[in-house]
Amino acid sequence: MNEARAIGAWRLVAMTLLLLLVAGGVAARVVMLQGEEERTFLKRQGEARTVRTLTVQPARGVIRDRRGEPLAVSTPVVAIWVNPRQYRSDHPAVPELAAALEYSVADLNARIARSAGREFLYLRRQLPPDRAEAVLALDVPGVNAEGEYRRFYPAGEVAAHVVGITNIDDRGIEGLELAYDAWLTGSQGRKRVLRDRRGRLVRDLEYLATAEPGRELTLSIDLRLQYLAYRELSAAMQQYRAKSGTVVVLDNRTGEVLAMVNWPSYNPNAPVVAQFEGLRNRAVTDLYEPGSTVKPITVAAALESGRIRNDLVIDTSPGWIRVGGNLITDPLDRGELDLTQIIARSSQVGIAHIALELDDDIMREALSRFGFGQSTGIGFPGETSGVLPEAARLPLIDRVTLGFGYGIAVTPLQLAQAYTVFANRGIFRTPSLLRLDAPDEGVRVLDHALANEINRMLEGVLHDEGTAVRARIPGYTVAGKTGTVRKVGRGGYDSQRHLAFFAGFAPAANPRVTAVVVINEPQGERTGGGQVAAPVFGRVVAGALRLLSEPPDPAPLLQASAGGGR
Amino acid sequence: MNPARLDSALLWLWLALLAAGLVAVTSASMELSASRHGDAFHHLWRHGIYAVLAVVAFLGVLSVSTSAWSGWDRACLVLAVALLALLLVPGMGREVNGSLRWIVIGPVSLQPSEPARFLLVVYLAGYVVRHGEAISSSLLGLLRPLAWLAIPSVLLLAQPDLGSVVVIMAAAVGLLFLSGARVLHLTFCGLAALAALAALISMRDYRSARLQAFLDPWAPEVQFGSGYQLTQALIAFGRGEWFGVGLGEGMQKLFYLPEAHTDFIFAVIAEETGVFGALLLCAALLAVVIRGLWHGRKAQRRGATMAAGLAYGAALMLGLQTLISVGVNTGLLPTKGLTLPLVSYGGNSLIVSSALVALLVRVAWENAQHASRPRRARQREVLA
Repeated sequence: MNEARAIGAWRLVAMTLLLLLVAGGVAARVVMLQGEEERTFLKRQGEARTVRTLTVQPARGVIRDRRGEPLAVSTPVVAIWVNPRQYRSDHPAVPELAAALEYSVADLNARIARSAGREFLYLRRQLPPDRAEAVLALDVPGVNAEGEYRRFYPAGEVAAHVVGITNIDDRGIEGLELAYDAWLTGSQGRKRVLRDRRGRLVRDLEYLATAEPGRELTLSIDLRLQYLAYRELSAAMQQYRAKSGTVVVLDNRTGEVLAMVNWPSYNPNAPVVAQFEGLRNRAVTDLYEPGSTVKPITVAAALESGRIRNDLVIDTSPGWIRVGGNLITDPLDRGELDLTQIIARSSQVGIAHIALELDDDIMREALSRFGFGQSTGIGFPGETSGVLPEAARLPLIDRVTLGFGYGIAVTPLQLAQAYTVFANRGIFRTPSLLRLDAPDEGVRVLDHALANEINRMLEGVLHDEGTAVRARIPGYTVAGKTGTVRKVGRGGYDSQRHLAFFAGFAPAANPRVTAVVVINEPQGERTGGGQVAAPVFGRVVAGALRLLSEPPDPAPLLQASAGGGR
Repeated sequence: MNPARLDSALLWLWLALLAAGLVAVTSASMELSASRHGDAFHHLWRHGIYAVLAVVAFLGVLSVSTSAWSGWDRACLVLAVALLALLLVPGMGREVNGSLRWIVIGPVSLQPSEPARFLLVVYLAGYVVRHGEAISSSLLGLLRPLAWLAIPSVLLLAQPDLGSVVVIMAAAVGLLFLSGARVLHLTFCGLAALAALAALISMRDYRSARLQAFLDPWAPEVQFGSGYQLTQALIAFGRGEWFGVGLGEGMQKLFYLPEAHTDFIFAVIAEETGVFGALLLCAALLAVVIRGLWHGRKAQRRGATMAAGLAYGAALMLGLQTLISVGVNTGLLPTKGLTLPLVSYGGNSLIVSSALVALLVRVAWENAQHASRPRRARQREVLA
């Protein structure tokens, strides 16, 4: 017992000091880690691993028709992605995951295995939120969700060409979705977030930029009229087994496009981008020779230039005329015709006589004033400006045929715009696909009285002896012009393939609605503009006038007797 | 037992550390629990149950007289060796993270290295009682217990668990030093031990890799490999600053720092409570250790060699494990799988470290009992 007591206390003191020394060293280390440099380094390393900057997708702006009906809306959906490094193909829920994402188990695993070195791989995008939730509930390692938006088009194929579509990343790629992409997109927000090692959000740290939702776009389109136009056009396409067709309806007082439909169309909610035929908005992208629809402009130019007088009577006998080496014919010998009759019956010979009176420049200048050969200014992606003949001197035959609409190429919208000049008694306006609060003043391009004269001639087209009896609308006077154009085929104009036009406006006394109908290659017995396009015009414009609550003409005397064009 | 004579400071420190552990483990494990077990409180419930068992073990050990252990010291060595050997029986052990450390019997998982600590403390204390003279007089007397300890050490290295070997051997050397071993002899032992350690480290690839990672954990080739855990722990210290990011607010436990609730609980505490909380925790553990050592000294002075040995052994075991664990967390030492006593998640560690504290409280109580006897009775005892 004594030897135990002999053990010196210094040993315990030494041991205690040693422990304190070591503990002091550890404490010094802990404190040193808080040194300015060390701590900054460590925190930065930590942030490099935990802090991520995420973009916050703003909702894309809604596109509406002029009355507020939605044409394009964004709905929240979910993208499922996987971190291939965390994914475990042997997880028991993998078969369920594959089924929920519409893969086979082998395909899913192979797809993820191909990206084994990456940390991000989309598995399925734009899933409805409830389905995405079911996928997340499986709790397969590495499988995550990300919010995004999907565009939905309530009007479907009816407004597809005008509205356009977005791609999977919510950017506009067609139509007004493309033209107004920046406006509709808004601005992405950015926020800094903490993420745990599995990539899940822990919490938001700060917003670097708040997401500005996209702005709304209100179109000039009236969806009711758009539906009507599409229905009538589709019906005509069926009836005449035509290749394609377009209807454009303008409010000529403002230049607003009330309806713009094409056939064939496509379903923007499930677009197949490879279908080029259906994707095109033919009203602004496709060029046609306008044919006889140009005749009123020819007459207007001739009257304006003073080369002819309005009481001119032309003897069209014997129903043909030779210009250069070419023969220009009417279907039959119509004898003496005044200007109204030339327009009403669409006499080639009559117009040829007038055109022979004109210089190149007068005709070309008139066409240019009516908007041909230049962009309408509507701002639609892919719009073509058409073709006017070169300024050089034209051969006589070309000058004459230009008078009845061959040798130039126009879009249906351009044709409609040109006809608003007559409807507006000489005022030319830029068309608009957006609803306008204050319509464009426009520019006068034709004398008011002269425009009135031409309009009377255009009313005559719907008289009993005119070409467009079938465009009549009960209760209203209609003015317009038919066009039946032989298409250019191999080695010249093809007598088998036609374009059928009708361009016009109503009510004639105080026009509100100007419309153009183009039917490309109608098949069957009757393929002229008066037979094929005029009835579509009549029905669509009748609907438009009704929807716009236009009061009927007090005395639509001349056209009333034959009733409607139905 | 007269409760008035219990060392209330030790008791409070022990309870405070258990409570701190419960809070820290809860914070560190909730996300892991939720993700791995579907119940955020999975680890909390278990830790709570272990804490109750630890209190039971504490009371059990507290009720046993120190002299009662003295006859059992060699049995304890045998038992420790047997438990460790059991791991090598095929089908008994369970491998976790490449180490064979667990024996699973029904719902109970036993980590033999933990009870071995307690058992070897008893063995060493008993050896000092039996061979006190030899320890201070001959090198052989010093080497003999260390040689016996080599058996469990080899078994531990087979797991492999170098950390536990270091703790046990260092505690043994410290105990022998406090029990009168000569400094010259101890220096010799120390040098031999260092040589052995160096050899062991160079023997295993992963150990030298860890050593390399320890020397420069931010090197690009180890940052996301063997140095990963350490870098994540160090980031925790940086993020915590002086007063921490707040309880439950830590980021590193969110799957960045592996073993956040066990071996790296100190880093999580440093992140959430800062340098302040971390050092307070260290101070509490160190206070337990130093108080324990002084109780040992008192026992030694009154001639209660067994009590002194137990107190020294228990205090050193706790102290060394604390220092190594904290050293590992702060990057002062290469990464080792060692728990922080009384704080880390893990039933075995919690129960055994509580039992070690119980030894200290028991020794303190016996010291107080002795001091309160009439002087004459004490003198009689000395003369006898």
